[in-house]
Amino acid sequence: MKLTRRDFAAGIAAGIVAPHIISSARAQGATLKIGMCAPVTGPAAESGGYAIKGAKLALEAVNKAGGVMGKQLELIVEDDQTTNPGIVLAFSKLASQPDIVGFLGSIRSTQVHAMAPDVLKLGKPVMIGGTDPNLTHMGNQWLFRCRPNDSYSGSVIADYGVNTLGKKKWAVLHSTDAFGTAGGKALTESLTKLGSTPVLDQGYANQSQDFTPVVLAIKQSGADILGSYFTFENDLGIFGRQLRQLGVNIPWVGSPSIVNITALKLAGPALYGTFGVADYAEDSSEASKAFGKIYRDAVKVAPDNQSSWTFDAINVLSQAIKTANSTDPGKIREAILAIKKFAGAEGEYNFDQNGDGLHGYNIVKNEKGTIVFDKHIESNG
Amino acid sequence: MMDIVLQLLFTGIGIGAVYALVALGFVLIFRATNVVNFAQGEFSMVAAYLMVVFSVDLGWPYWLSFLLSLGGMALLGVIFNLGVYYPLRHRSFLPVIIATIGASILMANSVLAIYGPQPQVLQGWFDTPGIQLGPVYLDSQYLLIIAVTILLVIFNYWFFERTMLGKKLQATSQDKEMASLLGISVSTMIMITFIYSAVLGGLAGILVAPVLFVSIQMGSTIALKAFAATIIGGFGDVTGAIIGGLALGVIETFGAAYISVPYKDGFAFLVLIFFLVFRPQGIFGERVAEKA
Repeated sequence: MKLTRRDFAAGIAAGIVAPHIISSARAQGATLKIGMCAPVTGPAAESGGYAIKGAKLALEAVNKAGGVMGKQLELIVEDDQTTNPGIVLAFSKLASQPDIVGFLGSIRSTQVHAMAPDVLKLGKPVMIGGTDPNLTHMGNQWLFRCRPNDSYSGSVIADYGVNTLGKKKWAVLHSTDAFGTAGGKALTESLTKLGSTPVLDQGYANQSQDFTPVVLAIKQSGADILGSYFTFENDLGIFGRQLRQLGVNIPWVGSPSIVNITALKLAGPALYGTFGVADYAEDSSEASKAFGKIYRDAVKVAPDNQSSWTFDAINVLSQAIKTANSTDPGKIREAILAIKKFAGAEGEYNFDQNGDGLHGYNIVKNEKGTIVFDKHIESNG
Repeated sequence: MMDIVLQLLFTGIGIGAVYALVALGFVLIFRATNVVNFAQGEFSMVAAYLMVVFSVDLGWPYWLSFLLSLGGMALLGVIFNLGVYYPLRHRSFLPVIIATIGASILMANSVLAIYGPQPQVLQGWFDTPGIQLGPVYLDSQYLLIIAVTILLVIFNYWFFERTMLGKKLQATSQDKEMASLLGISVSTMIMITFIYSAVLGGLAGILVAPVLFVSIQMGSTIALKAFAATIIGGFGDVTGAIIGGLALGVIETFGAAYISVPYKDGFAFLVLIFFLVFRPQGIFGERVAEKA
């Protein structure tokens, strides 16, 4: 047989390309990929690290138990830079990989809003931790929430402050981003329903260096209790210190960031005696205790909601794929919505048709730096 | 009512003093080199992290950590001058400005890579967080910041007006060629300016760290306001930087208290736009055309 120049070139090309095609095909088939947008850099990089660890712990457990549909799960993380453009870019990078079957979005509502149009276009399930109630009520069927939303946190904060602490004159303080605005609105509406219209409803811009005007406004309002929605822990730390320095010692019930590890470290004694609604409270259930143990063993720090929601998100998603026995997005969606009485670190998941998995909050108290579980309140809002 | 005004005034001056310290660094480098150093805010951030390393991680005495951190900043000033400004000194201002932006990104990401993204807590100089003076609470760290700013104003006046080195620095900033003809080593003067600016930026970072915490973003947040303060005061004017910084701190604090908290930052930039439109030379600056 005569070897022509063309045959030789084709042979060389095939020799170079074939191993790549084979290994690529093997890689595509070997694992089920889950994409995750997380703040690896930017202001929330610390909590982003916790989120990734939570997801990886769940992934390891699922894989150890045999994986899903006979395959191991693989996590692909893209940095969202803690910004809206960052998460849009991160999600588009992940979305361009056709073999990714599901995604983890952000814990920040404003970022989820930014990526939501692309999620709708892609049409694959995205687990989220953002708590703006609108996220699951704006016609985007691919967003599934693994934390209770702010309409629940608002009603639980209001319920606890009015009915348990017996306080009626509320100051509501919230960030002016999507999370804070929605949270503040939900709290104000719940308080109004309970007959305690806030005496002060105050917004603030993220990354403020000084909260003196805010503290003085609270002081002047005559409020006997404070409800807050802070997005960033350093804002919370600065505000907490200035609140105490300027002599305001009224009870304070905050959104989940008030019990974050970073907030506790930064604000220190300024947060002693405060209450928080926490989607994750270590002593609230057996599943929460179990997650707390494996997280502490692996990471050597106390767990918080930054890691618990991603832990649950992976578990819920893998459970849904198992039930669906398919990677078809529509079938996974149906399987997620069918999940009932699923014990997660954050609580018992009972998905409604909007995509909300949890419907209540735990109330915890900061006792000299230790977060102590008080009670669970299922929302009636 | 009066107690609220006094409380706001104290806080406004305190935060304004931080802007003033960083603005001073902007001004000194601008006078000496005719370029804006956009890494000035990162000098503050790096110094605050150095304090965390010496004082928190290594547990060394606070005063020693403070001196070592400022020493480290002086060294950074030298490196910055040799690595960023000096190679581009004969180019137009644009490449130098871009180089300072690049250097600021490099510094922020280097600290991120070495120290991680976690915000850190740095204790203040005093054990007492503050004192209650009648109805007004005086935060001890803000008191210290204000005191240091006043001392620096006096020092700067003495240094630039009464010492030979200060006069050489002034001569260099006014006319490099003439200064060179008079036997002044222009490159040495510029080196000294970078060292002094880095130390000033570092001082601001160390002083404000106990109030705002130590984070990668702390420098850029302060620098943006300090830059606005520099324009308001008059680019190139030392007194203008101080007055601009203090004015900005007071305006944004009162604006937040009496008009709108969420638009606090907006007031600062509204004032900036006002000056850019109606008095671009700032409060103390002279018109470019009037420069001799």
